[in-house]
Amino acid sequence: MINMLVKKELALYFRNLNNIFLPLVFFFLIISIFPLVLGPEKNLFDKIIPGIIWITAILTTILTSNNFFKDDFNNGIIEIYLTSDMSVELVLFLKIISCWFFTCFPILIFIPLVSLLFSIPFQNSMVILLTLFIGTPVLISIGIFGSALTLGLAKNNILTPVIIIPFYIPVLIFSASAIEAVSTGLPFEMQIYILAALLILVLPIMPYLLKYTLGLSINN
Amino acid sequence: MKSTEISVNSATCYKNNNLIFSDVSISYNDGDIGIIMGPNGCGKTTLIRSICGIQALDEGQILLDKIDIKNHNNNYMDKIIYIGHKNSLNNDFSVYENLEYLSAFDSSSKINKINEAMKYFDIYKYRNYMVSEISEGNKKKVSLARLLISQKKVWILDEPLSYLDDTAVNIFTNLVLNHQKKGGITIASTHYDFSKNINNVKYLNMDPGR
Repeated sequence: MINMLVKKELALYFRNLNNIFLPLVFFFLIISIFPLVLGPEKNLFDKIIPGIIWITAILTTILTSNNFFKDDFNNGIIEIYLTSDMSVELVLFLKIISCWFFTCFPILIFIPLVSLLFSIPFQNSMVILLTLFIGTPVLISIGIFGSALTLGLAKNNILTPVIIIPFYIPVLIFSASAIEAVSTGLPFEMQIYILAALLILVLPIMPYLLKYTLGLSINN
Repeated sequence: MKSTEISVNSATCYKNNNLIFSDVSISYNDGDIGIIMGPNGCGKTTLIRSICGIQALDEGQILLDKIDIKNHNNNYMDKIIYIGHKNSLNNDFSVYENLEYLSAFDSSSKINKINEAMKYFDIYKYRNYMVSEISEGNKKKVSLARLLISQKKVWILDEPLSYLDDTAVNIFTNLVLNHQKKGGITIASTHYDFSKNINNVKYLNMDPGR
């Protein structure tokens, strides 16, 4: 069963390659807007580029997870999830993982290129990559949770980000703190461990939370 | 096979403080065909969804084998297959892939019956078509084909006849009759009474002015 579900999930993304490429293009567009607006001042960018990368990553996760369940809701597949006698949590877990893998992982691959563009030192860029690698699955999970929460409501395009962004703050604080630490030469392991703890906390409970939330919002 | 009983016990439901239906009681046993009729907006879908446990009733209970479904453990849907009025089909999958995907959500389903089910509903020729390419009636047939793949005893169907032509309605009626002979229970909401010459039909008229 798991094989089949994974195969179907892969098929969904590969048949709509837009879902993979557009977040990546969006990421690069937003990143490249900052030098245009702020001017190509090297000292300034050395200071703010980690923050820019993180904000852009957040915007990308918000956009990709915003209408995550909309098609399933309109097609009535949410009802299949809720009336199934199988482990739907497994399906929801697979959906979270595949959403992360196909929308965030491509961005992670291009982080070294971005680092090169903005001449970020190698060690700093590795820490940015590491915080994104651990942080984005949490962001995606929370984003998907938000989209499940506002599912039945009309015109929820802005509502969902407004609900979920406050929940992004812990991830942001520790990521920023890790990047700050490495650029001033301080140890950064503690922040990474806390990020990993957040990931381990959020990922396993999210499928159960999602199933419960979908049950509530399908009746809106 | 152990006998099954589903009963609705003085069900009442409100939506935005408006009464949808009140004090609906009916019970279904092995071999019953339950037909829920009534005008638009009388709460047929709401009742069907509360029998499946998707929606909560404001008053009353749904009992499966004399136990309130709220007190059943997670195995409540073991015996029940629900087909809603939305077809639950993914437009990015072909007909065959959709049936394969949907059967993953049903522990009783037999994947090797998918071809047989498609032939029964005369949609085998569309097996490799994307769902977005076939007509609404054929989409409905695809979603009804799940009944043949699943081996469950209780069928709960919301508007199974919409978009179907006369031939398809006959095919569907025969399917329900076969299910009845095997002792299965069918509960369907419909506007068109497909069961004029069938025994053991339990009508539930939800007309608010009854």
